[in-house]
Amino acid sequence: MKPLFIPVILGTPRQGRMSEAVARFMFGEVSNREGVQTELIDIRAIPCPTADAGDAIKDQGFAASVARADALVIVAPEYNHGYPGMMLKHVLDTCLKEYIHKAVGICGVSAGGFGGTRVIQNLLPVMRELGLVTIFWDGNFSNVQDIFDSTGNLLDQAYVKRTDKFLKELIWMARVLRYGRENVPLE
Amino acid sequence: MISCPMCGTPMNHHADKLDHGASSAEPHAVDPDLGGVVQETHACPDCGYVLFRKAT
Repeated sequence: MKPLFIPVILGTPRQGRMSEAVARFMFGEVSNREGVQTELIDIRAIPCPTADAGDAIKDQGFAASVARADALVIVAPEYNHGYPGMMLKHVLDTCLKEYIHKAVGICGVSAGGFGGTRVIQNLLPVMRELGLVTIFWDGNFSNVQDIFDSTGNLLDQAYVKRTDKFLKELIWMARVLRYGRENVPLE
Repeated sequence: MISCPMCGTPMNHHADKLDHGASSAEPHAVDPDLGGVVQETHACPDCGYVLFRKAT
């Protein structure tokens, strides 16, 4: 069977971002899955002008990775109860056809105790309009400053089991949707 | 049935997506009943190529 491709998107370009440790942890967990290939996509590294939108500013590397993907993992910090508009939403909006009928799982990151639940809720309607299919497991990384050490090593092993559940669901959905995209006609 | 432009395999038409972003650029292609440009999405079961084209 052709391996699944599930890139992890690090959704903030900010200096000192705590989400980077989460994204690297998720990247490692996806990498360990048999039959799954991955890539860490850093929003900071994507050249994306702000004076236009869509195809006019689409980064071909990002578009190619999403086109190849069977599912996405989005790691998004919660900023004032919302998602990072600069650049996560801007970059996501440059593609459309690449997303359709593909799975997505979201990891919310917060300094407080709610694990980014509000950023996840705010991203859900965006995912739907892009044509992505959301799973019902989320990654909720609360008090992120306390769950990784200064070099990015995970300190709270409960996240390994939680991530296992998240990825099992995401991989199942990715397989089902790939079969559907390739074999089940619209009518 | 559309053949994949990359490998020639018959593609699967699995989605119709209303593309509001295309409406201003291509007003003539807007479906008046649906309020936007309908884009067909086709996937190649062999190489995975995705084809997006305006519905005809």
